[in-house]
Amino acid sequence: MAQAQKTRLLVVEDDGLIRLDLVDILVDAGFDVIDAANADEAMVVFQNSQDIAALLTDIDMPGSMNGLELANRIHGQAPACKIIVISGRYHPDTDLLPSGSRFLTKPLSEAAVARLFADLELRPH
Amino acid sequence: MILGGGECGRLFRNFEWSSTSLGPYESWPSELRTLTSVMLGSLQPMLIVWGPDQITLYNEGYAQMCGNRHPAAFGHPFRDLWFDIWDQVDPIITAAYAGQGTSMDDIQFTMYRKGYPEETHFSFSYTPVRDPWGTVLGMFCACSEITAEVLMRREQQTIRERFMQVFELSQGGIAMLSGRNHVFDYANEQYYAMIGNRDIIGKPVADAVSEVVRQGYIDILDGVYRTGEPYVAKNVEIELNRGPDGEKQNRVIDLAYQPMRDPDGRIGGILVQALDVTEMRADEQHRELLSHELGHRLKNQLAMVQAIASQTLRSAPDMQTARRTLSDRIGVLSYAHDAIIKGGNGSSRVGDLVAQMISLHDDPNAPRISTSGPNLKIGSRSSLSLSLILHELATNALKHGALSVPEGRVNLTWGVMGPHQDRFDLVWRESGGPPVISPVSESSGTRLIKAGLAGTADCKVEFTYAPEGFNLIISAELAGFQQEH
Repeated sequence: MAQAQKTRLLVVEDDGLIRLDLVDILVDAGFDVIDAANADEAMVVFQNSQDIAALLTDIDMPGSMNGLELANRIHGQAPACKIIVISGRYHPDTDLLPSGSRFLTKPLSEAAVARLFADLELRPH
Repeated sequence: MILGGGECGRLFRNFEWSSTSLGPYESWPSELRTLTSVMLGSLQPMLIVWGPDQITLYNEGYAQMCGNRHPAAFGHPFRDLWFDIWDQVDPIITAAYAGQGTSMDDIQFTMYRKGYPEETHFSFSYTPVRDPWGTVLGMFCACSEITAEVLMRREQQTIRERFMQVFELSQGGIAMLSGRNHVFDYANEQYYAMIGNRDIIGKPVADAVSEVVRQGYIDILDGVYRTGEPYVAKNVEIELNRGPDGEKQNRVIDLAYQPMRDPDGRIGGILVQALDVTEMRADEQHRELLSHELGHRLKNQLAMVQAIASQTLRSAPDMQTARRTLSDRIGVLSYAHDAIIKGGNGSSRVGDLVAQMISLHDDPNAPRISTSGPNLKIGSRSSLSLSLILHELATNALKHGALSVPEGRVNLTWGVMGPHQDRFDLVWRESGGPPVISPVSESSGTRLIKAGLAGTADCKVEFTYAPEGFNLIISAELAGFQQEH
């Protein structure tokens, strides 16, 4: 049987350590994960890779835009891409988030991530 | 003969008048007889001073004012009664004899009518008594006791003074306005301070503090004056020309306008209470921001600890190693945190973090790690990362690198670099160690190092497994590296 195509995720987080760990968790779960350290970098990655199923992004990051702006831009370009916003600072006003997007608080719990993925029907294959 | 008059009546009837210049009662002029009769019959204190010798007659009421000079004073010259205050009494009795009446509103006596000394107050009027031809024969005096009124007035005065004291000491500005034009009657120190020490008493608000007109406050005062409804508002932003040269400043105040009613029930003025809360509100906002920031920092640190724990457990060969490695790493974060607290304002110093690493991994009696670099300020997020990276570098060097042999050395340098002096560079260079081999698999320590400096926008971490020794260069943008939160 042919190997099924892995579901591709884009992780955007400026803290290298937290990004590294989140990527590890998602790779272990069977996903194909690309990561970026800020929104500008993520935008470039996103343009060069059309088949991203979901974006997981932090809010407060250095650079020309923050995670909320990134989420809105990506949602504008690819409405099918699922969006998960992560922050330790605040629960953003739902008006600021693209419709259908979800929020996770830092520090992340693996169980909460798993529940949310199930809810969004995000599976590795 | 005159009847009644109590003790004084008896005294009068038994008195040997013929021994005085007044002569026997039968020889008295009708004026004196009539007045004596009126006096002895009256409950009001009364006094008669008669003839050139100023012979004194009085009734029961007046006797009480005389204290222990009664009854000796009865029928004797007036001066014998009031010898001790004669300098005050003489002018008015002399005036009465000269045909000039005098009235005195408030004279104080200590009386013993209730068995104990008691402060009393009386009003007097000295009236000259003339014969039908106009000659002054003597003086008649009726007194009214006003003790109750005086004490009540004093009480009210005390209450008013106490209120004024309360007003003066009040933390808030207080002013009283009167009339429909809201004229300043009173303002306390705080009120003057709030409006910038302007001259306001006797002036309408619209003239004295004219900048409030366009801000709508006269309309509000008019409304309170008209309707009698108080006005209360919190956190009002107001512009006041309160600067040293009358320039405008924005203040935040808690404000209350309270209508004050005249005795007839109509509104006669407005009590203004204004508490300047500008600094208080600013402090509150600052505290809120601070606790928000602390919460955020704590959550980020928990996320960091979570990632470290997860990375440590992921690659540890056994549980015991994992436990020790994890507890060392968390200990390093804890030290870094101490340095941030010491640094204040959410930052520490690179020198402090390096010194911490040295104290844990080098022997001060035979130092093998040499360091040089400026003691730069470093933000809290980068502080935690840098401490962890230094710890992992030292641990790796002790385990596999230069510090695993006695003659091995490490040279650690850092500084501000780049053409625009906007980058932080740190170089870890090992020498004199065993032959360098590139590791086949990445250890968790190496991965933690590669994660770079948190808080910086673009951090490059470069590993070189050179034959003469392992070396590492970290380069990050300086602004993020030094950002406080």
